[in-house]
Amino acid sequence: MLITKDLKLAEVILRNYHLIPIVSRFGIQFGFGDKSVAQICEQYNINPVFFLEIVNAFNDKDYLPYEKLKKIPLSQTVNYLLKSHHYYNKVKLPDIENLIGRLEWEGEDADRNKNVLQKFFGRYLKEVKEHTANEEKEIYPYVLELEKNYNSEKPSSTFIENLTKKSIKDYADTHDELNAALLDLKNIIIKYLQPAKNSEVTKQILTETFKLDEDMKDHTKLEDNVIVPVAVMMETELKKRS
Amino acid sequence: MMSKISYLIVEKSYVIRSGLTQILTSFPETGNIEEIDDIISFSEKFSEKKPDVVIINAKLIEKNPEVIFEIRKKNVALKLVVFVGTRRADDDFPAFDLKISVDEAKNTIIEKLQNLMSEIIPAEKDEISDELSDREKEVVKQIALGKTNKEIGEILFISPHTVITHRKNITRKLGIKTVSGLTAFAVLNNLIKIDEAL
Ligand SMILES: [Fe+2]
Ligand SMILES: [Fe+2]
Repeated sequence: MLITKDLKLAEVILRNYHLIPIVSRFGIQFGFGDKSVAQICEQYNINPVFFLEIVNAFNDKDYLPYEKLKKIPLSQTVNYLLKSHHYYNKVKLPDIENLIGRLEWEGEDADRNKNVLQKFFGRYLKEVKEHTANEEKEIYPYVLELEKNYNSEKPSSTFIENLTKKSIKDYADTHDELNAALLDLKNIIIKYLQPAKNSEVTKQILTETFKLDEDMKDHTKLEDNVIVPVAVMMETELKKRS
Repeated sequence: MMSKISYLIVEKSYVIRSGLTQILTSFPETGNIEEIDDIISFSEKFSEKKPDVVIINAKLIEKNPEVIFEIRKKNVALKLVVFVGTRRADDDFPAFDLKISVDEAKNTIIEKLQNLMSEIIPAEKDEISDELSDREKEVVKQIALGKTNKEIGEILFISPHTVITHRKNITRKLGIKTVSGLTAFAVLNNLIKIDEAL
């Protein structure tokens, strides 16, 4: 189903609850009555084109909005990506970490099982933190600076000079490891972990991992298929102009 | 699902190439068939397609038989078939698994190729099992202990290249790719103790 600006947002979420974290990421609070997507976007000062591209991409995995998203200011996309980072680091990952802490087993391997999972997840958490911190400190600020110069009548000559030393291309290809770790976690729990006493918690961990994985894959697609190619284009243009 | 058998035919003559392809296509086990008409592009095509079986005309390797010895050394499981003209029918080709000749009857050739295929398929079946072999378990253990491919090769007396092949098969079988993931697997399956883990 294609989500359009005239649909009621309530209707959209009732049809696909996976959009709950996405909508919250735009700062939208529930209790919005029968307002349409367009009305809500206006109320929250959200670019409706951007909003629709993001929710449609999340709603339908075959939907490829990259061409349209590439035309939207990078600052907008970066802002959304920052909110996603916050959601991963401050909400979702701690949630899963807590759930792992709650697992219980019978027998002598109980401690070992928990330690293995905690160690694995702890490492993954650290990798995500480092990755997102690097993006927030280095990549995103660079991209914003680049866009500013690209849009400027008089781009900074030092910035253009530095383009020969630094390029967004150095940043590409950093996502494979992170995505692989989540797939590993799924396989470990589904195939190799002894059944826990409180199997409800195991199922919650799995479900949360699948949701996180889906969310993160969309996130990295935005970075790899929107941020990177647009930044490459801007770098090339700026170099040509000088 | 069982994977099909892929072929690479290296033969100058168009008529012979087509004839061989026609016979091979009649087998249900046959997958992809590639044809090339000279030895020059052979190595490149071989590494690109990674065929299960190579059928090559004896004349094309007269001048540089090393090509074949090299390929043989690196690909133990590969089936090499030499295709000979009438005059060469009595010659020996030690690097090859099978010899077929231009003046053999169609049924003879079919029978020979079918025998060869039956040797490939059991091996394939083995590969499809998700149980790790003892060797693979040993590799997982070393990875979990934090060893590099080179170190693992030295410990197990295998080449780093073979270590990489093992790692690929391990990942395919377990669905686990990262070092942390393999370490967790190793501990959960008692291949190492948790305090030994990297
Ligand atoms: Fe990110
Ligand atoms: Fe990223």
